[in-house]
Amino acid sequence: MIEVRDLVKKYGSHKAVDGVTFSVARGELFGLLGPNGAGKTTTIGVLSTLLHADGGQVRIGGHDVAAGAKEVRRLIGVVPQEIALYTDLTARDNLMFWGRLHGLGGAALGKRVEELLVMADLVDAARRKVETYSGGMQRRLNLVAGLIHEPEVLFLDEPTVGIDAQARSRILELIAQLGRQGLTVIYTTHYLEEAEQLCDRIGVIDRGRLVALGDKESLISQIGDADLIRLSLPADRHEAFRAAGAGWPGCTGIGERRGKLEVRTPDGGRLLPVIQEWLRANDLPLEQLEIERPNLETLYLTLTGRGLREDAP
Amino acid sequence: MTRAWVFARRDLKRMAADRRALVVNVALPLALTAVMGLSFGGGVFGKKGISAIPVAIVAEDVPESMRTRLLEGLEKSGFFAPVWADSLAADTLVRNGKVAAALVLPDDPLTAFFRADSLVVEVWKDPSSDIKAGIVEEIVGRGVLRVQAGEAAFRALWPDDYMTIGADSLGLDGLLEGDVTDIWTRLRDPGQTAARERAFDFLVRQFDHQVALQRALQGAAAGLAVADKVPTGQEEQRETSLFDYFLPSFAVFFLMFAVAAGARDLHRERARRTLQRQLLGPGPAWPIVVGKWIASVAQGLVMLSVLLGVGALLFRVNLGPDPWTLPIVIVLTCTAAAGFFLALALLVSREKVLDNLCTAVILVSGMIGGNFLPVDNLPPWAAGAGRYVFNYWANLSFSRVIGGNEGLSGIATPLLVLAGASLVLLVVILVLFNARVKRGGWA
Repeated sequence: MIEVRDLVKKYGSHKAVDGVTFSVARGELFGLLGPNGAGKTTTIGVLSTLLHADGGQVRIGGHDVAAGAKEVRRLIGVVPQEIALYTDLTARDNLMFWGRLHGLGGAALGKRVEELLVMADLVDAARRKVETYSGGMQRRLNLVAGLIHEPEVLFLDEPTVGIDAQARSRILELIAQLGRQGLTVIYTTHYLEEAEQLCDRIGVIDRGRLVALGDKESLISQIGDADLIRLSLPADRHEAFRAAGAGWPGCTGIGERRGKLEVRTPDGGRLLPVIQEWLRANDLPLEQLEIERPNLETLYLTLTGRGLREDAP
Repeated sequence: MTRAWVFARRDLKRMAADRRALVVNVALPLALTAVMGLSFGGGVFGKKGISAIPVAIVAEDVPESMRTRLLEGLEKSGFFAPVWADSLAADTLVRNGKVAAALVLPDDPLTAFFRADSLVVEVWKDPSSDIKAGIVEEIVGRGVLRVQAGEAAFRALWPDDYMTIGADSLGLDGLLEGDVTDIWTRLRDPGQTAARERAFDFLVRQFDHQVALQRALQGAAAGLAVADKVPTGQEEQRETSLFDYFLPSFAVFFLMFAVAAGARDLHRERARRTLQRQLLGPGPAWPIVVGKWIASVAQGLVMLSVLLGVGALLFRVNLGPDPWTLPIVIVLTCTAAAGFFLALALLVSREKVLDNLCTAVILVSGMIGGNFLPVDNLPPWAAGAGRYVFNYWANLSFSRVIGGNEGLSGIATPLLVLAGASLVLLVVILVLFNARVKRGGWA
């Protein structure tokens, strides 16, 4: 359904998107994961015809987004990161407007608006001005407004930013429901757990480049079955720990991040007692010792050296 | 255009829902209009021009019937708002500034007339109301001069018939003394038949001479002819006031703020991403900006119509010689204003910059375009520069229609300029908007 080949988008000399390539099958829920400033929104901007690419090719539903923008726009729906609604109008007025914009009218528009109000659970609040809504209600309306013309592809750009856990859960539920209905979804987020929970496949983007692509399992396998043991020690003991660790069975490497030592091992359960023993022998406390199973966060850390919630430089 | 209407309809709905904008764009100008109207205008709240001057009349020995006629005459003149008072009360009224002046007629004026005694009318003036009191003095003085001139002519032409001389020579001395009742009683006395006949002849001659004097005055060598020149086709004389000028010019001033706010909304929509969402709709992008233009024009039409309508209703502001000239001026003013501020919005990249620019442009163009001073009174440099701003032509059109009661033919040039500017500006905003869409400048 979506094919992206060597996509490049520059702002002056800065490459916001640098040679990104991926494809999304019809009905797939594809996650684009990366920190703020990684290039996710710019990629969505080009895919949704709002921005012109400086290189590469993007095709949606067989249409080139540059040459066939008009056809592409009929296929896609976009839910921006911001609440792109008229908050001084009611929910119904908003949906009626967005529907008319897409050429709907009469009874068909009225019916579609009612369907979407039900989907967003906003029937009772439909006649209230959007500015009186909670953050979660606004987000839900923002989402269904992108569905008014029944698009085949939906771009969701960080649709859960700035809302509480309960509201986020309802939004994710709604997106999962859309996925089950066969809608092709591209979902950008910097919330790892959302991508893990929702997406069939995930592309990890960093500094404009796609650094990993695949389903959750295959991505994690890229960093092996490595467990990560983290511990805090006084700085003057780091060298001694590294020296000792080099001889421990199963220890494949010792690194350091934010003042903490990180020990990589295929089996954290076997190495942990060895480390504890060394700490006792050296009169060091056992607190702040933790073991982390491999996940997308560790993948991201491994690939970029930074956490997902840290902004891109 | 159907798509443009979708966008315009949305903006109009938003404007109608925005109570604050309604207050700023309609209620505030209306309040200002009312204040201006009460200060400069007339209409149902008062008379235009100088109001009637309050004067006290002291005429203690004048019969009641004559007083009433005198009062009615003074009121009818429109210049005076007379009140009767005795000399003490009149003195107090003048000193307290309650009346501009007091006219004090001499005691027993009728007897003085028949005796040909000099009739001296006193005028007591309130010095703090020197203009009004001066007007009273001038009008009374004119009347006194007229009596003096008539009397001098009478004396020169018919010295034998001049009141006291004639009456004495006819042996009527004593017959014409006292008040009218006394004179009448004496004349009806049968013993006075001969004297009555002489008196009758005397009075007839008096009237003959008076008539002769009147006729002579009609053919006098010098005269004053004052004529009101009203516009052709207008039967009644129409008075204008400063309000007639400032109502439309202030309305245009407020219109500029309203349409500038509409233009700013383009940048707000961009910040909120609603603009980008609209750009993702099928079809061309130009209806988005045309929709904004239509909404701004419609908002302006409502504003100007309400303000001028209220001005006409409450303050009798002239709405022009026919039903179509003023509406055409209003429409072209709104189209030019909407185009001008949207073009400005498309030339800058950020709302904050636009905000400051709009304020500066409105104030400067207000000054040179005649929103603070009538266009005809602008200094030459300002009038020259004003020609480059649309509001100059709008103000010129309004002042000619409302102040000068001119029709379409009288305002052809400013109307053509406004129409041309509207068209050019519409093309400019379409070009600028589409160019920005093409280079992804709204993303």
